[in-house]
This record gives sequence, C-alpha cells and structure tokens, in this order.
Amino acid sequence: MIDMEKFDRVLKRVEKPARYIGMEKNSIIKDLNRVKVKFAFAFPDIYEVGMSHLGLHILYNLINNEEDIACERVFAPWTDMEEEMKKENIPLFTLENKEPIKNFDFIGFTLQYEMSYTNIINMLHLGDVPILSKDRREGDPFVIAGGPCAYNPEPIADIVDFFVIGEGEEVILEILDRYKDFKNTNKSRRDFLKEICKIEGIYVPAFYKVYYREDNTIDRMEPIVEGAPSTIKKRIIKNLDQVYYPEKLILPYIETIHDRIPLEIFRGCTRGCRFCQAGMIYRPVREKSIDRLLELAERLVESTGYENISLTSLSSCDYSELKLLISQLMDRYEEKRVGISLPSLRLDSFSLEVLKEIQKVRKTGLTFAPEAGSQRLRDVINKGVNEEDLINAVTYAFEEGWSTIKLYFMIGLPTETEEDLLGIKDLGYKVKDIFFSMPKEKRKGNLKVTLSASCFVPKPFTPFQWVGQNSIDEFNEKINLLKDNIRDRKIIFNYHDPKLSYLEAVIARGDRRLSKVLIRAWEKGCKFDGWSEKFDYNKWMEAFEELGIDGDFYALRERNFDEILPWDFIDAGVRKEYLIKEYEKAKEGKLTRDCRLGCTNCGINKSFTGGVC
Amino acid sequence: MRLRVKFTKENYLKYISHLDLMRLFQRAFRRGNIPIKYSEGFNPQPKFSIANPLALGIESEEEYMDIDLEERISPKAFIEIMNKELPEGIRVLDARYVKDNRSITSLISWAYYQIYFEAKNINSGEELNKLVNNWLEMDKIIIKRIRKKGRRVIEKEEDIKPLIGNIVIKEDKQGEENNNLKSVNIVMNCLLKAGDKGNLKPIDLLEAMEKYIQPGIDFDSMGIKRIGLFTERGGSIELPM
Repeated sequence: MIDMEKFDRVLKRVEKPARYIGMEKNSIIKDLNRVKVKFAFAFPDIYEVGMSHLGLHILYNLINNEEDIACERVFAPWTDMEEEMKKENIPLFTLENKEPIKNFDFIGFTLQYEMSYTNIINMLHLGDVPILSKDRREGDPFVIAGGPCAYNPEPIADIVDFFVIGEGEEVILEILDRYKDFKNTNKSRRDFLKEICKIEGIYVPAFYKVYYREDNTIDRMEPIVEGAPSTIKKRIIKNLDQVYYPEKLILPYIETIHDRIPLEIFRGCTRGCRFCQAGMIYRPVREKSIDRLLELAERLVESTGYENISLTSLSSCDYSELKLLISQLMDRYEEKRVGISLPSLRLDSFSLEVLKEIQKVRKTGLTFAPEAGSQRLRDVINKGVNEEDLINAVTYAFEEGWSTIKLYFMIGLPTETEEDLLGIKDLGYKVKDIFFSMPKEKRKGNLKVTLSASCFVPKPFTPFQWVGQNSIDEFNEKINLLKDNIRDRKIIFNYHDPKLSYLEAVIARGDRRLSKVLIRAWEKGCKFDGWSEKFDYNKWMEAFEELGIDGDFYALRERNFDEILPWDFIDAGVRKEYLIKEYEKAKEGKLTRDCRLGCTNCGINKSFTGGVC
Repeated sequence: MRLRVKFTKENYLKYISHLDLMRLFQRAFRRGNIPIKYSEGFNPQPKFSIANPLALGIESEEEYMDIDLEERISPKAFIEIMNKELPEGIRVLDARYVKDNRSITSLISWAYYQIYFEAKNINSGEELNKLVNNWLEMDKIIIKRIRKKGRRVIEKEEDIKPLIGNIVIKEDKQGEENNNLKSVNIVMNCLLKAGDKGNLKPIDLLEAMEKYIQPGIDFDSMGIKRIGLFTERGGSIELPM
C-alpha cells in the first residue's frame, strides 16, 4: 500500500480528489496477501472516462468472481495529480487497495483509441514498471492489452508483453488459470509467454520478426519462436446469453461520461458501413434474449439504483425484438422512474416510433449520423440512409417537441467532392426550413441545429484500410469551405482538429517501428493527446523528425491490394477478398445489403460459428 | 409527508460534492425502495433537499435533509434501510416526520465548525486565544470578497463581524520541530452565520484571521469539520430536529 499520509496530503491539492479515492458501492476489495493472482485493470485515461467503459465492468466483476484472484482498477491520474504524486514520491496505485501497480502480476490495458497510447507509457512510468517489454525482469508484472485497437497491435508491440485479440471473457480466465500453474513452478517469464502464445487469440509480439523492403513496406513477418502461430485468430463468444455479464456495477461517486446502466443487447452489426471498424471486427451479430436482458436489468437496477438503462450495441435499433424489449422494460420501471435510452438512433420511422415510446419517461438527446452530405457519398460508404429518411425523422422530431438536433458527418471520405461537402450545409439548412415551415403555434422551443464534422481516419479491417487520408491542408480547406458557407445563427458548425485525426491515422495503421516514436513523443511531454487542451502536435512532429520516421507514409499513402499490411497476421473473420470487393463497390457507389437480409459473404461464418450468419 | 433526516458525511466522502451527494442519495433511495415523491414532467426528479451544501473537503457530523414521501414508512425502518445502502462515511443518525412547511435550508441560520490547523507564529493556544479575543473587540472586520458577474470580477468589501458567533480555542499541542521552526497544532471551534441571511465560510474566517492577527496558519495542514447546524429563534439557537 502507498503511504496514506502522503495520499491524504495530495488529495487536498488536486482537482476532483474523488477520482482517486475508490471505495464506491459495489467495488471489490480483497486481501491481497490472500489471493494467488493480482490483476490491475488499467484504463489509459481519467476515471470519468474509464468508468464509462463497459468492458471494464465486465472484466472487473468476471475476474473478481474467482475467489483467489483480485482485480483492481487503475486510471491515468490527471496532470495535477501526476505532479503531486511525483512531488511526494507516490507510485501509481490501484483504487481498491491503493497498491502500487508494480506489485501486480498483470497490468491489463484496454485499447479504446489510439491517442491514449502515450498515457499507457506514462502510467507504466509512474508505476515504476519498465516501459519496454524487453526490459522487464522476473517478478515484474506482465503488461497485456486488449480492446478494439488491439486489432492492429503493432504500434505498441515493443511495450506490451502480449495482446488478447477479440472478446476477452473466456480467454482472460484461461490466461489466469495458466498463470496460477506457472506461479507454482520455477519457469521463467519467457516460458510462460511460450506457453500462452498457443492459446487462441494471444499474440506475443516479441516472438515475431518483421522484415521490411527498401520502400519501407513490409516484406514478411515470421515467428522466431517455436510454437508461435503465424496467424492469430480473434476470440469470439459464441452464445451471448450464456456469457458472463455483471449483475452489479461499481457506482461512481462523481459523474462519469456514461453515468447509467449499460445493458448490452447484442454484439456485432450487420449494416456494413464501409468506414466502420467496429462493424467489421465485432462480427457476427449475436443477440441476448429478452428474458436474459430483463433478468439482468432487474438485478442491475436493484444493485445500483441508477435512474437510466442504456440499451447498448453498435446499432441498437437493429435488435430484432426492440419494441417488445422496450415496452417490457417500461412496464417494469416507469413507476420507479428508471428511464430507457438508446445511444444510437437510425434515421428511419421505426427508430422514431421507438423514440416516442422511450420519451414517455425521460427525454434523451437527439442525434443522427448521416455521415455524408450527399446521397452519392452515402452510397460510397454504404450508409443506407437517404434524405427522405432525414426529412421524415426531423419533421417527426419537431412535431414531437424537439428543437435541438445534432447531425454527425465525416469529411475526407474517399471520392469526396466539393458538392458532397456542401451537401452537409444543405442538410443543415433543410432541417432549419422544416422547423420554420411548421405553423408558429406548433413550434416548440428554440431551434438549434449542430452540424458536426470529424475528419475521416481509415482503419484496419475495413474496406477503406488501403485509403490515403486527406492531408491536414486538404482537411483545413474543406473545413473552411463549410465555415464560409454555413452562415446562420440557428446552425452551428463544429469540426475536429485535423492534426489529431492525422496522428490517429498514423497510429491506427502503423507498424512496430512506431513504438519508438510514441516513447519519444511521451519523453517530450505528450500525454492525454485525445484532450484538445493537452494535445501538442509540434512535439509529435519533432519526435517523428528526430527518429527519421515519416508520418505521411502511414497516414496519407494509398496502399496496393498486394501490400502486406502490419495487421494482416490477424484473422478477424472478415476475409481480405471481401474487403477488397467492398472497396471496389464503394468506388462505383454500389450498395451492399444489410446481411440480416441475406449473407454478403464476408467470411465470418466460414471461420467462426454463431450469430445470424 | 416530510421526513427530516440527520446524517454524517465523513472521512474520504468529504471529497464528493453536493451534486455527487444528491445523486448518491437518489440512487440509494431507489435501491432501498424508499417511497419518495417525484416531480412532474419529462424529467422527474426525487423531491428532497439538503440544507446548506458543504464545500468540497469539509467533513460533517451533522447534516440535514428533508425528504417528501409518497407514503409513510417508519423512521426506524428508514434509518435501517439507508444505513445498509449508504457508504460507511455517510450514516443516517436520526429521522423524524415534521409538519413544518418551511424548507430545512430556510430554517438553518448558524453552523458550528471544528477546525484543525498548524500555526507557526504563536507559542500556545492561550496566546492565540488572546489575539482572537482582541480581534473580535474591533468594531468592524472587513474582508474582500470576490464575486463573479458574468465575465466581470467584482471585488467587494464586507464586514464579517456580525457573521461570527464565537470562536473558542479547544486544544493546543506542540508540533514537531521542522527546520528549527516550531509550530503549534490548534483545534478551534467557531460558530458562523449560515444560510440566505448572511453566510461565512470557515476558510474565509481563517484567511481573515491570518490577515489581521497573523498566527501563521499552514493552510495545507488545515482540516475542517462541521459539527452542528442550528436554527435561531428569539435570539437563542436551537437544533433543527
């Protein structure tokens, strides 16, 4: 345990000290001297962000269900806390027992977004754990990582001892079981890694060597340790009704980003939007049954007292019995004033009926994502939504009394033209016209339309994984075009920082040569890069320059189909031929149907079973 | 039906804000199936209010709230259920039905605090006591208060003397010697005006003390605990329940 006197002193000086105190309802504190394995679940961002992550709650409770294993949480301390901890010599500690993370057997990071990687380095450093995998010795923790960004693990290959690719509920217990056995022997770290690299879904980067060509592309990647598989197959859970789901959730004292019950209704998505990594890597679709969901909802409301249940998934309106589920939940919880919310709404009449149902209890925010401004471009990205849908949806929303509408778009999508861009503006103005075409007495509230544009980042395992990203200059021109054209006090135009999106693109499709850039950028002070007030683009550029690594090579370059991509050794279920075909269809503006309506041959049902396929 | 509840907020829970505390109670009421009343409308809120929100970092042995209930439950059952649902740092001490329609916030007019600090310019509690008593003899004690009105910052002078009920030095202990500097550990109780008709924060009092009589307070060492809230009737102070 850290020195609690120092801890108390430090708490007096920092903003939001409750981030660091732990002891929330439903948190689990075990006697660390009486467990066999200590697992630190590490989220490389602040408490409020990390506590909003469903995977944390699942794995935390799942691991703690094992009597002889303790799972404790650790988050990135905000910069003020970091300063104070350094002054007092307090090493990074877990919230439960305030135990330094270096005393744990595992430190497991979840990789939710690329721009949190410097925080991983920083947390290891604050925890007195060697940053590079090769510098860790017997007795040091194993640094492991999983989550969506682990589908391209290469940029942090030098830092992480092993990755878990895919869904973690089963494999994490397999790992911990093997570790218990390992602890009873005199075997080395390397022996342990050699053993677990045979488990499906485990990737030990140190067991592979990558050879490069003169043009800096990859020539080949080879296992250099016997038994290390040449392909790593992602793990999936076959039956979502039978998989573990927590019946208790840690209840934060302070408000978090998603401060409600996350009720996961299904995994995967059948829509096939071509820019969307989640839609590809989480295939196939697997639903939880209504009975199971009602049972979970009851336990979770009972154990937390939360006032809202969020039906989470990648596209919640696609749940096959959504209306039934919602009406059952409403029947049960209306009296208790527990609201139901849907994090993602599609622009169709069905979604709106559902919305109307939910509204009876509590109003939720109204946000739609047409993603692109013109029909042509929406077809390119396979977003099966048309303008009529938007007009119907918005008309309905205004009639029902909404007056604040937010529309999400991406700029820099493949084949985008000026016309497509101005389509974003046109949609905003159309929404405004719909509002004011209603008779005055029917208009409720003050109209506010927000058009929000993010800069497109091509991601691995999507049909756009070969695409060269727009340059920062191109993005800025596009943003300026929209800024100049959107001139209305009712319409607000927001946009993401192209510099941040550029770096995200570099890292998202980077290879293992980037590990040293990440470390150099961190040495220069980069952390919390996802926070605009902390992001320092120039420091990153210095890091690239000093190491002679060209970011444009990763972000801006259009790849050939025959190029070996850094993540090709991972089998995510969706075949490369399918992704190529989808990219070709995109260029022609051809749609691919929702695979609930018939298989589109992505390959997931060939190598994996379960789901709707 | 209005239930008046006395509770504590101690130890690390001093680091959760008033809004955090409201959420915490709201969820504990739901877990415990307390038949609380809700407001009407799209966003129904449970009807309860906590008197005189504590500032972040201050503990309390006696906080009060009023809860509007839909149906009657026995105060004893209420206390039992809530203490099962609440974290250790928050304990319900007492609960009673009240007929009074005035809100608990409007009733409270005095707060009693216990303040711990280290002071390096004095040798004993007795010395501080004398300084304080002389200080309180002044006709006026003026402090500067900063108010923010939109973007403008307005500095205002205020006489806090009428806001100070009393100040008592409870304890003193010689502190450890540090770089040849000796400090005295002081425990001081003070009764300060609280509520809509005049309010003095304990930290403002300490800053004023430092400004006028310079005991050399180490603000890093300071710990504040509220040990009572009182109503005023006919010139004397009374417990709210």
